[in-house]
Amino acid sequence: MLHLRTPGRSLALALAALALMAGPSTAFEPSQTECIAPAAPGGGWDFTCRQVGKTMQDLKIIPGTMQVTNLAGGGGGVAYAEVASKRKADNNLIVAASSATATRLATGAFPGNTMDQMRWVGSIGADYGVIAVAKNSPIKTLPELFAKIKADPKSISVAGGSAVGGWDHLKVLIAAKADGISNLRAIKYVPFDGGGEAITQLLAGSVQAFTGDASEAKGFVDAGDIRVLAVLAPDRLPGDFGKFPTAKEQGIDAIGANWRGFYAPGGMSDDAYKFWVASVKQVYASPEWKKVMTQNGLAPLDLDGPQFEAFVKKSISDIQTISKEIGLIK
Amino acid sequence: MGDRALGSVGLGLAAAYVWQASRIQESFISDPIGPKGFPFIIGGLLALTSLAVLLRPDPPPHWPRPARLLELVAAVAVMVAYALFLPDAGFVIATAIASAYFSWRLGAPAMQAALAGVAIAGGIYLVFHLALGLNLAKGPLGF
Amino acid sequence: MDVLTSLGHGFAVAITFENLGLALIGCLLGTIIGALPGLGPSNGVAILIPLSFSLGLDATAALILLTSVYYGAMYGGRISSILLNIPGDEPAVMTTLDGYPMARAGKAGEALAISGIASFVGSFVATWGLVFLAPQLVKVALLFGPAEYFALFTLAFATLGGISSTNQAKAALAAALGLGIAMIGVDGQTGVPRFSFGMVHLYDGVNFLVAIVGLFALSEVFIFLEHRGENAVHGSVSIGRPVASWSVLKYCTPAMLRSTVIGFIAGVLPGAGASLGSFMAYASEKNISDKDKTFGKGDPRGVAAPEAGNNAAAGGALVPMLALGVPGSGTTAVLLAVLLSLNITPGPLLFTQHPDVVWGLIAALFIANFMLIAMNLPLVGLFARVLLIPPQFLMPLVAMISFVGIYGINGSTFDLLVMVIFGVLGWVLRKLDVPLVPVIMGVLLGNQMEANLRRALTISNGEWGALLHSPLSIGLWVLAVVGFVLPIVVGKRLKSRIARAKEEAGTLVD
Repeated sequence: MLHLRTPGRSLALALAALALMAGPSTAFEPSQTECIAPAAPGGGWDFTCRQVGKTMQDLKIIPGTMQVTNLAGGGGGVAYAEVASKRKADNNLIVAASSATATRLATGAFPGNTMDQMRWVGSIGADYGVIAVAKNSPIKTLPELFAKIKADPKSISVAGGSAVGGWDHLKVLIAAKADGISNLRAIKYVPFDGGGEAITQLLAGSVQAFTGDASEAKGFVDAGDIRVLAVLAPDRLPGDFGKFPTAKEQGIDAIGANWRGFYAPGGMSDDAYKFWVASVKQVYASPEWKKVMTQNGLAPLDLDGPQFEAFVKKSISDIQTISKEIGLIK
Repeated sequence: MGDRALGSVGLGLAAAYVWQASRIQESFISDPIGPKGFPFIIGGLLALTSLAVLLRPDPPPHWPRPARLLELVAAVAVMVAYALFLPDAGFVIATAIASAYFSWRLGAPAMQAALAGVAIAGGIYLVFHLALGLNLAKGPLGF
Repeated sequence: MDVLTSLGHGFAVAITFENLGLALIGCLLGTIIGALPGLGPSNGVAILIPLSFSLGLDATAALILLTSVYYGAMYGGRISSILLNIPGDEPAVMTTLDGYPMARAGKAGEALAISGIASFVGSFVATWGLVFLAPQLVKVALLFGPAEYFALFTLAFATLGGISSTNQAKAALAAALGLGIAMIGVDGQTGVPRFSFGMVHLYDGVNFLVAIVGLFALSEVFIFLEHRGENAVHGSVSIGRPVASWSVLKYCTPAMLRSTVIGFIAGVLPGAGASLGSFMAYASEKNISDKDKTFGKGDPRGVAAPEAGNNAAAGGALVPMLALGVPGSGTTAVLLAVLLSLNITPGPLLFTQHPDVVWGLIAALFIANFMLIAMNLPLVGLFARVLLIPPQFLMPLVAMISFVGIYGINGSTFDLLVMVIFGVLGWVLRKLDVPLVPVIMGVLLGNQMEANLRRALTISNGEWGALLHSPLSIGLWVLAVVGFVLPIVVGKRLKSRIARAKEEAGTLVD
């Protein structure tokens, strides 16, 4: 656990105590709010907590600053277990989550923990999956790639930034399954430390295809180094990625959204839950947040409250189905 | 006592390592080498190098006399105790005691050592906690 | 991208109030750490890493602080070599050979001035070498696939032992230990726990910072406890005016330049590092210019050569660390640990993904270098006084700062206990003359080495021959084999000369 005491915080807290609150009006009064990032500083969860916390402070939704606590370990499992057991009734706590959280819940990587132990607050954006090849590759479309894999699975190595059974791996499997490939286990997936490294290997010619997130591919797309075969989004993405077709357009009905959002302790009061749902919604709608999204390559995904809960539930069950098929879980 | 002991311990360690590696649970989906392959290679390397050291040892080092060795064991014990009691005793008290002990054992007279302990604990607390804001262990007294 | 433009951006990043302040503190601490016998660049940086990390410095700031310490230690090592005939750190061993005789002849000030200027020339030129060579190396590195990386890691381990140890088998044993420790924790590819004996604390593996601080810093404390009462520093330190005349400087200039080139090359080679740089520089300078047999008796060139050599090597060692993610020396291995803890993976992508970090760092090196020369010429007397801190006060401080730093990362008692275990292990290994740097390299690089091997074999569908599929990987393997075998065949001669040199210097540090 990393606690950072910044000299400014105590001052800010003191000032905030005097300041008027301008959050959504509910019966719940937030004080000394905290966001747990279930990983070390610098990662995506840490980013989610810090950016949203800062925006909430700027919009004066919460009094003072939001304390960010890094509670790393077990791929988020340590934080999940801690919140489920010791902090289950904390009204001032939210925890950063993403598709990785859902994936690990689905594959039982948080032993003894399930999604209904938490209240799911809302999403703040998504990073849609892409499948790409090097610019000089003979493969031009997603069905072509899958046809090659069907003919000889050994000839195509797909690189991604997550571990075997992780989100990058699952995305390519979700798409392959939608294309009717039955022997998903034969697809060769090579895990690297992050999407950037995987794309570099694509360029070096060590592997033939890449599966990852749009934000990871952005720099290489801008430089013209890689060709995006398909975006795993319901519609074409705004901005630079608009020129690339979705998988759906090519007859493969697959969506892979790496969402970012929050969960809250399961014993949180209804008033507090409503406050957080409304606050996250307000952050999402703000121009400040729009700017953060474009800077960081986040695409729109606006779900909150029960809607978000249903979304997480569905993605967990989808992941479970596919993980069972490739034998990751029994 | 020297390289022959090192080589023998290394061989034993290699055997234990390979045995533990063989017990790693294979997951259902895996790459050609799997989670056991590289540990096996390391175990082999450890065994080979231990054998080489065992067969061609260097002259043994000068080990400390038994009294000095006991001194080192005591130092380790103090460090372990420090680690265990730090969260309960608080940073300043634990650190003052531990550093006074080390200072004393490194040859400072008892009075000087006690002063050094207090100075080191206070100095670190001042610089790292008060000036730089690093979180140190809080004891019952809050420091 | 033009390197000079990038460097300009780097200066824009580095010249902020905070970063300049950190560079200044780093230079100051580094010089002191280097000067203190027993504390060298690797354990000095090791103690400070957890601190900079838990103080929440961002990547650029943390690196600026720590590389300033690194460069500073390279400067500082010479002070006790010259004044006390005790090398402040390992690379400064060669400086004792002519530095101490000069001091005894009443020319301590001159020796400090020459060595300070030589240090400046060495690191200044080497930093330019880094500016131009690293981006070129990056282009080559982009062609590296998993098989080539695996070969490169093997090469780093193979060449490391040849120089750092007197016994190849022990260096390889140390590497095996480090690699073995790296395997502890959940396997990154399949998610199964390995060697963790059901302990949750071990699921995330052994934190390499804990291992580094234990091995380097705590083992030092044990060594001092063991040798209490021996090698006490006696007498006062007097230096006279730290100036050198133009004629002496001119006389030393060719030696400095030649040594800079040799040192830089030694630094760039993976695994070799600053000690080899200073040794090669001194040895070759002696061969080239020692016509009157004045080397070893207080020849100023014998001070200039090793100092230019080790400082140039320090800069050179950053090249493979930044461009390939393979450290060129023990201390850069420690710096690599910093980058990894900050979630920055060094290697070819570093230059495109984090240009601010890389070029800010390089600019900071230039700035630090100027700060160091400014500090080390007029203020050298002040630093010399630090040498008089007796170990009974210094060593407890070292131990406690180590504990504070590690506790600050996770607030974990378990980490502290693991660190003590590593401290004991470090002491035992040092007694048995097993080098510590390969252990650290193993802990640091083990998982990547394994991952690349497994990737290579996944791609090749399990064909082991794929490890030798490209000319590049074959070349790297050949170099690795040569690098490992050559020291066994020809190394005896070289090593006996190093050993002799160390004996002449009177003490053995690390």
